[in-house]
Amino acid sequence: MVINLNLREKYLLKANNLWNDRETWQPLIISIALIISIAIIHKSYWEATAETSPEEVWGNKQLTKNENNWTITFEEDVGNSITFKGILRTAPKFEVYKNDTFIPGKFSEGEALIYSEELYGKTMLNVSGMRILVNDDLSEKFFVSEIITIKATLVSNISTFDNNGELITLEREGWVAETDDINLSSTKDNYFFTTELLILFAGLYLSLKKIKNLREQTSLIWHLAAFELKQGIKSPRMIVLGVIFTLFIIGMGWLLGDLQNGDPESAFFVQNANGALQQLCFFVFFVVSLAAIGVSVDSFHKERQANTLNILLAKPINRETIVIGKAVGLSLVVGIPALVAQILGLIFMINAGEAPSASGIIAFIICGQVMIFTLVCFQLCFAISARSGADVVMYGLGMWLLFAVVWNLLIYAISFALGIDVTAEDFENDSRFQSIASHMGMLNPGYVYQFSVGLLTHRTLAIDLEGIPGWLILLALVLWPITCLRTATKLFKREVKG
Amino acid sequence: MGENLLKIENVKKAYRKYNLFGKEISNFSALNGLNLNVEKGQIYGFLGPNGAGKTTTIKCIIGILEADSGDIIIDGKNIEGNGLYFKKKIGFLPEQVGLYGRLTAKESLQFYGGFYNLSENEIEKRGKELLSKLGLERDANRKVAEYSLGMRKRLALCVALLNNPEILILDEPTSGLDPRGVKALRIVLKDLNKKGLTIILSSHVLTEVQEICSHVGIINKGKLIREESIEGIRKEIEKKSIRLLLKVKEFTEKNSKELSKKNRIKSIKQKNNGKHEEIIIELKEENIPWVTDFLVSKGIQIFSIEPQKNSLEDIFLKETGGD
Repeated sequence: MVINLNLREKYLLKANNLWNDRETWQPLIISIALIISIAIIHKSYWEATAETSPEEVWGNKQLTKNENNWTITFEEDVGNSITFKGILRTAPKFEVYKNDTFIPGKFSEGEALIYSEELYGKTMLNVSGMRILVNDDLSEKFFVSEIITIKATLVSNISTFDNNGELITLEREGWVAETDDINLSSTKDNYFFTTELLILFAGLYLSLKKIKNLREQTSLIWHLAAFELKQGIKSPRMIVLGVIFTLFIIGMGWLLGDLQNGDPESAFFVQNANGALQQLCFFVFFVVSLAAIGVSVDSFHKERQANTLNILLAKPINRETIVIGKAVGLSLVVGIPALVAQILGLIFMINAGEAPSASGIIAFIICGQVMIFTLVCFQLCFAISARSGADVVMYGLGMWLLFAVVWNLLIYAISFALGIDVTAEDFENDSRFQSIASHMGMLNPGYVYQFSVGLLTHRTLAIDLEGIPGWLILLALVLWPITCLRTATKLFKREVKG
Repeated sequence: MGENLLKIENVKKAYRKYNLFGKEISNFSALNGLNLNVEKGQIYGFLGPNGAGKTTTIKCIIGILEADSGDIIIDGKNIEGNGLYFKKKIGFLPEQVGLYGRLTAKESLQFYGGFYNLSENEIEKRGKELLSKLGLERDANRKVAEYSLGMRKRLALCVALLNNPEILILDEPTSGLDPRGVKALRIVLKDLNKKGLTIILSSHVLTEVQEICSHVGIINKGKLIREESIEGIRKEIEKKSIRLLLKVKEFTEKNSKELSKKNRIKSIKQKNNGKHEEIIIELKEENIPWVTDFLVSKGIQIFSIEPQKNSLEDIFLKETGGD
């Protein structure tokens, strides 16, 4: 008992010290705690006001076959009218019943109804696996991956169908809804997200206000960044790399534009312009990560060798400011030529195919710059901690190989280890494999870039990309650069301890 | 006694190595409770053998390293938590001068001046003055990569002086410089000191320290073992006996005994190099005429007399145990 009390006191003291040591960041920590609380309230709100597991409701339906009388029923306590919250698993435009999409009079077990001509022009939504019939054509009204709420009513009817020459009477229960009953979940989510963002900005603002000499250090960041940019952009290495990656991105843009109108059966088929844009993201990442290695090699490690760092450290500038200044400067060294390459790649892609959405184009450029900053910060961690120039390059190339080349193999290996048969013909459509791939993608800045652009091509952020909600993608997009920058500053600050 | 500018109290600093898991695998104590006092207007020579902790001390003062314990106080304020404020008051010239080779001298000054809230015009004006003072005016538009080591040192000194510092810290400033460079640097430093700049220079070149410094601090194994004004050291040297090296002929054992009997000399050593006798006599400086008179009176032929004075080196060697 005495030991427990001592331990408790010890941890309380430790926590207290930790809290007091982070005086500057206390408002931000409080705001993050508040955001987590709001996120819990947000989740509870949906749990309380909507059925958040439509798949479970659908899975619990019962098909009873009693000779020629079949019944489809849902659990008794499910109620007659429910607001479901779920993800549109398939594109509504492909789920509209048309003249030649079914054979009238046939029973579909998957959709739990008998096809009839009455269905023409109606849409069978797939909401997180649940089938809800909407009395309208929802093409271009709702899109795949969007998270929606839908107020559906349980209706029952009796009809007959011919089952291999046997007349079956089907007494079925099914869910129906009208277009007005469907809403994007973002209509409600936005209140929560806006509140969370406001709290985050307030916390950040109050924390930044507490930083000593913030204005001065900010101007030093720009001073250092401008110097790095001036030095880096003119370097022969960057000129060569810039030319190579611009040509590569232009070529890939052209190819992806061309493939949009190609054969759907082809392995390189690109469904639409937004899909092409997402693929172009990968190619941008592929070459830009090499350029990030190229520019980061000369920072820190080489400066330490050339003794320029000692003079810099003797100037009135924080170690954090040095890292941030260099990170910003080097990101601009890569980012400016990359921006030119991105724009040229886009022009060639649009010229050969169709134009992606405007929000997608903006995301492609802005998220691309965020990704470049992330990669540069990642490389700076190596440049700070490596013992030789060769180490910096080797670690950098290792990172590039991992993120840009062998990541897919890693996904296959982990999927295989988790029991997915990766030798099966259609394993890539396995929902578990897709879930593993998308979750692992959050650990790869290149994939985060692709996902972010994919997310921002939609009209709402309340979407779900293969199991990854939009907010998590945005969080990953923000957390990646912050984590890399924080690690680099921590590594550099550690040196002061000797 | 002058106004105290820099005070180092019981500063300890160790260099540690860690394994992959963050466990400490080795620990080397560079500073073991160092104390130091530098007053305004001094040129303080910071002496010590290699590995004594001179550079570590300097790095702790300018904030490149953080002391494990102890206080570094500048102008009555502890530098802990006020690093940026004090960095504005300090100019630093490292031993290995690292400047960006792709920049010209002017661009270098613009870049480093940018850290002091100075406008471009102010930097230009001050830079021009400094370049002219240090003889680099004509090379102001040349790339630093084309500079000789001496020129780089001078440019680095310009960079260190750009912010009009109150303290100038130089780590082994003359290393790698030719005698002309050393002399030029000495003149500049003395001139700057006359204008009120406090200078701290670490060195193991003792003649340089003796020539330029007003005070010295000798450290060994991370501890201050002596702190003294150059005047005090000079007096101590004068008080000490000097050695007189004589080359003579017909100096006998009897003469040696006679000299020894007199209380005016401390010791006498004698050896024959074939051509003549070599005698080394340890004595007070004022007794040299008496010795020569004695030798002449005995009819001993004197070929040469060479008095060997004690120096800071002797004190340094004695204090650091290198005798």
